[in-house]
Amino acid sequence: MSAEMANEIKLISGRSHPELSAKVAKRLGIEVARTISLNYSNQETSFTVGESVRDEDVFILQSTATGDVNEGLMELLIMISACRTASARRITAVLPNFPYARQDKKDKSRAPISARLVANMLQTAGANHIVTIDLHASQIQGFFSVPVDNLYAEPSFLRYINENFKPEDCVIVSPDAGGAKRATSIADHLNTAFALIHKERPRPNVVGRMVLVGSVEDKVAILVDDMADTCGTLVKAAAVLKENGAKSVLALVTHGILSGNAIETLNGSVLSALVVTNTIPLGDKVERCPKIRVLDISPTIAEAIRRTHNGESVSYLFTHAPV
Amino acid sequence: MVRNIVVLGGNSHPALVDSLCNTLGLPPCNRILNKFSSGESRCEIQDSVRGKDVYIIQTGFGGNGSKLNDHFMDLCIMISACKTGSARRVTAVLPLFPYSRQPDLPYKKAGAPLFKASSENGKKDYTFDSIPATPAPGLPQSPGLVNGTEITNRLLKTTAANGAGPVSPARTNGETYFGGNGTAAIAQSVTTPAVPTASYTTHDYENLSHIGAFQPRTGYKQWVAQAGTLVANLLTCAGADHVITMDLHDPQVQGFFDVPVDNLYGRPLLKRYIQAYIPNYKDAVIISPDAGGAKRATAIADSMGIDFALIHKERRPTKITDRQNASMMLVGNVKDRVCILVDDLADTGNTITRAAKLLKKEGATTIYALLTHGVFSGDAINRIKASAIDKVVVTNSVPQQQHKAQLGSQLEVLDISPIFGEAIRRVHHGESISVLFNYD
Repeated sequence: MSAEMANEIKLISGRSHPELSAKVAKRLGIEVARTISLNYSNQETSFTVGESVRDEDVFILQSTATGDVNEGLMELLIMISACRTASARRITAVLPNFPYARQDKKDKSRAPISARLVANMLQTAGANHIVTIDLHASQIQGFFSVPVDNLYAEPSFLRYINENFKPEDCVIVSPDAGGAKRATSIADHLNTAFALIHKERPRPNVVGRMVLVGSVEDKVAILVDDMADTCGTLVKAAAVLKENGAKSVLALVTHGILSGNAIETLNGSVLSALVVTNTIPLGDKVERCPKIRVLDISPTIAEAIRRTHNGESVSYLFTHAPV
Repeated sequence: MVRNIVVLGGNSHPALVDSLCNTLGLPPCNRILNKFSSGESRCEIQDSVRGKDVYIIQTGFGGNGSKLNDHFMDLCIMISACKTGSARRVTAVLPLFPYSRQPDLPYKKAGAPLFKASSENGKKDYTFDSIPATPAPGLPQSPGLVNGTEITNRLLKTTAANGAGPVSPARTNGETYFGGNGTAAIAQSVTTPAVPTASYTTHDYENLSHIGAFQPRTGYKQWVAQAGTLVANLLTCAGADHVITMDLHDPQVQGFFDVPVDNLYGRPLLKRYIQAYIPNYKDAVIISPDAGGAKRATAIADSMGIDFALIHKERRPTKITDRQNASMMLVGNVKDRVCILVDDLADTGNTITRAAKLLKKEGATTIYALLTHGVFSGDAINRIKASAIDKVVVTNSVPQQQHKAQLGSQLEVLDISPIFGEAIRRVHHGESISVLFNYD
């Protein structure tokens, strides 16, 4: 019996993404903690821990399934609070996709800054540390007064491109001005060309006219973005790239929210592939859309958990993807 | 007409928002409140709230296609939006406070525990020792201190140095405090830490088989989240300056808040109903369906000067499986009398229907059930339909249209909007609202 026994990793999984939790647990060589969440008939969420978390290092992994964001968030808050009252030493909320990340500014009068609210709620519930992947805006870290580790899917994407394409045949394209930084970072690492699509957006979830800046002639155009929601932007961008002479177009996206008619939109598009990570449960979407490829992000999450637990630096993961 | 008030309604109870606004004589605030296709709530407040006194109406009820947790998040988002929109004060009005009543164990629809207590199953290899065991002489060694000092040896040495003589024979024999075979049991549990069966971690309410298979680790009583404090803290953290609610199941919930909470009573409404609609109410008996509600029921009985009786759920079953058969005892006499069941909340309706059955058996003539909050989730409606209750009287603290449609004349709905309207008016003007607590 060793001294480390006193403070172990306890991985607690919410109901939203058990597959990811199982992969992370396997990778860490531990078992997912015995817990149960359910909704009473009056729809209140109940959470029960079946083993001691006293003085343990608790990691709560909860993604938010498309369409059920509030349910997942509330469950997470209740889980955090339950572990806090059960005397956990430290509680780290692992949110592969941060909910409400797009509502991060007061862009019109009386608009709620819901990302900030979520940040406050997580801290109120008792989270001591946050781990997330590809925040829509990294400034969201500033909403917290606890440490936030914002991991990147970029190393996984770089590996995917290197394995499947010759970087010199590719052009990295950002589908909007906001994502230019993310896309240029990949282009710099691969030493490839870069292009940008400028779009006008009259209303949320509606896309206007698009203009390509840069050349994609006879190249494989790789669209890079942090989330694919209704896929309207991606599909229109792909069409613009095709019109401008791209050999083929694929998209690399961290969070595959894929809400609304996304699947139908993708199936009818000129995109040859949509590569997403498994930060969000995809359900039957992979079967319904043959263009979707899924990269497993669980090694990155597991390594971040291991390093956080052991007090090692996490910055290695910003540039390297564990195999 | 009241100035400088903004009444902002959530999606949980539009009818109440309308009648509240009617009472106050002002239009509800224009807002967009729906969901993005990704499932995130979208909230836009279209009227100015700068410097205003904002009242946000959202009740803790999910159903009719909407979800309780969605409503709660919407409420927090609205509060936060008003706060960042420079509202002078934001008051959350929750006629039914969500998560105010949480049972100790997860219960299924029928009211029986979803899983057996851990002690039932792990009895064979269960000891009272935690893992690792508390250090004691003769026990397997505990991890020791960081600097390598072994506590066990230290303890032994100091005992010897003090010259206290040999410790009691039982211990020197290497036996534990816990009796003969204790060491063996502990050693076993230390070396083979609870053989992991399949890990049941995620469950749906639909997958009851999974829930039935859930087992806490041997020797650990499961820890059930009590969300009441969390909900209170979340409302405060979203920016609520004041909370108005009605008939909190536990009045202690008020203490969870750092902001003022006004807990209004539905009692006056229920009393007025008794006086106006129950013939010969002076000869009736007020019944509390369980011991917890006795105080509420006696308060009504005392103030009206009528008799009181109590139903006592005897929970003395030896086996957990007998709990469904736990007997109910009636304390008091109801023979050939009208019975008025009084409770604050009916969720699955189990308590009141079982109480009604008992009352009928004891010879009650007519049975009324007066409840502040009629949530009626699960198969409550069918249960009430089939029960001995002649009339169910509830307030519209949660939407009752659907329940009314299903129960018809068996259900009577009382309107709480005058009470809440008056409370809002008084809070806004800084008047005392204590008159709302005890008027007759």
